[in-house]
Amino acid sequence: MDAYSHRIAALRRRAFIDFGKFLLLAGLAVWLLTMATRSLGYQWQWYRVPRFLFSTSGGVWTAGPLIEGLLVTLEISAISLLCTVALGLTTALFRLSASFTARALARGYLELIRNTPLLIQIFFVYFVLSPVLDIGAFASAVLALSLFEGAYAAEILRAGIVSLHREQWEAAHSLGLGAFDTYRDVILPQAIRRVLPPLAGQAISLIKDSSLVSTIAIYDLTMQGQKIVAETFLAFEIWFTVAAIYLVMTFGLSLIVRMMEHRMNGAPLRGIGGIA
Amino acid sequence: MTADDRIIDTREITKIFPGGVVALDRFTLAVQRGEVVVVIGPSGSGKSTFLRCLNGLEEIDDGSIVIDGIPLDHHRKNRLLIRQEVGMVFQSFNLFPHMSVRENIDLAQVRVRKKTPAEAAETTMALLTKVGITEKADRYPHELSGGQQQRVAIARALAMSPKVMLFDEATSALDPEMIGEVLEVMRTLAAEGMTMVVVTHEMGFAREAGDRVVFMEAGRIVEEGETERFFDNPRQERTKAFLSQIL
Repeated sequence: MDAYSHRIAALRRRAFIDFGKFLLLAGLAVWLLTMATRSLGYQWQWYRVPRFLFSTSGGVWTAGPLIEGLLVTLEISAISLLCTVALGLTTALFRLSASFTARALARGYLELIRNTPLLIQIFFVYFVLSPVLDIGAFASAVLALSLFEGAYAAEILRAGIVSLHREQWEAAHSLGLGAFDTYRDVILPQAIRRVLPPLAGQAISLIKDSSLVSTIAIYDLTMQGQKIVAETFLAFEIWFTVAAIYLVMTFGLSLIVRMMEHRMNGAPLRGIGGIA
Repeated sequence: MTADDRIIDTREITKIFPGGVVALDRFTLAVQRGEVVVVIGPSGSGKSTFLRCLNGLEEIDDGSIVIDGIPLDHHRKNRLLIRQEVGMVFQSFNLFPHMSVRENIDLAQVRVRKKTPAEAAETTMALLTKVGITEKADRYPHELSGGQQQRVAIARALAMSPKVMLFDEATSALDPEMIGEVLEVMRTLAAEGMTMVVVTHEMGFAREAGDRVVFMEAGRIVEEGETERFFDNPRQERTKAFLSQIL
C-alpha cells in the first residue's frame, strides 16, 4: 500500500473511533436522564404544555401566556440591548477621555455596577429611582438591565479600542481628522470587529438576565412560567419549556452573530496597524 | 532660493521624553517654500521626533513652531489647521486596514475637505494614476505589497492637497526591490515643487532630489548645507565619519 491510502485508512479509523465515543456519551446522557426521572417518581404530563404556548378556538390561533411572555422578554431585551451599546460606548470613551471628571464618573459607575448584584440593582431602580424619575415597571426594567450590561459592554469596547495600534490614531490625526471622525471612521469599526464575540456573549447574558425583571411584576417569559407553575403544579414541564425557549433565543442570536462575523471576515482584518 | 519665504519655521524647540531623554535640544530649522530638506543622522538622533513635532503628533516642551503662518500652539483649532496643510508618510504605512485603497484616500477629502463623494473619487483616481496603482483601487491594504501600500499612503496624504509633505523613513520597512518604486514617486513630487522634509537613509535620493541636507545627532544639528556641498565637502569630522559609515 502507498502512503496515500495509508493516510486515508488512518483517517477513516479515527473517524470511526470518534463516532463510537459520541455514541457512548449520548447513551450515558440518556441513561442518566432515565435514572433521574425514575428516582424522582415524577408524573410527566407533557401533553398539558402546548396550550400554554398556543390555543386554537374555531380555527383561530392565539398566543398562550408563554408566548406572550416571550414577546415581553424580546421587547425588553431588544430595547435594553440598544441602550447597553450606547451606554457602553459612552462609558468606554469616558474612560479613555483626557478629562478627569469623565474618567472618574465612568470608573465610579463601573465599580458600583459590577460589584453589586443585579437583583438589588433592579429593586433599587424600581423602588427608589422610578418614583423620582416617574417611570413605570417596564422602563425601570430596561434602565436597570441597560445599566448593568452597559458596564460590562464598556469594558469590552474599551479593550477593543486600546488593542488598536497607536499608529492608526496618528494616521488619522495626520490627515487632519478630528476626534469624532477618527473614532467613527477609523477606530470604532476596527475595535468593534475585534470584540464582536465577547460583545455577543454580553447580549446573550442580557437575554438571560432579563428573567430577573419578573421580580418587579413584569410579565415576561419567566414570570408567565412562574404563574403557570403556581396554577398547575407542572413545575418541570413548564420550567424546561421556558428554558428551551431561552435556549432558542440565545442560540438564534449566536447564529446571527456568527454570520455577521463571517461576513465581516470577508473584509480583511489581517495586519491591522502593523507592518504587512 | 533668494527670497525668504519660510513655510516651516521652528525656533529652539526642545522635546524631552518621559524618563528624561532629550530628543530635541533647542533645535532650530527653517524650510523655504518648495524646498526639499533631507534629514539624516544615526538612530535616536531625534529625526523622527522632529517630523512628528511638526504636525503636532508630539508636543514640544519649549520653543515655537510656525507652519505657513499658523503657530502650532495649544489651540486645538490651529493644530487641526496645520495637520490639514501638512501631509505625513510613515515608516509602517499605517493604512486603514478595514477600508479599501479607494476609501483610504477618499476619507479625509470627504470628512475634512468636505468634498462630495464624486469630487473625492475623481481626485482619488487622479492620485492613484500618479502613484501608478489604479488597478488596485478596490483592494484592501493587506492584499498589496509593501511598496504598493506605501504608494497608497502617499496618495492618501496628497489627497488633502497639503502644502508640506513629511516622510518619516518611508522606505525603511520595505524589501529592497520595492524601495525604488516609492522613491520614484517621491522624486516626482520633489520635481513638481512640493515642499518636503524627508527623513531617510537613502543617500542616493538625498543627493538627487534634496536641496539641502541636515545632519543631526543627539537632538541638535551637527551640520547642514546644500546637498552637493554637504556630500562632496563635509566640514565636520562627525559628518565625515557618519557619511563614510553609511555610503
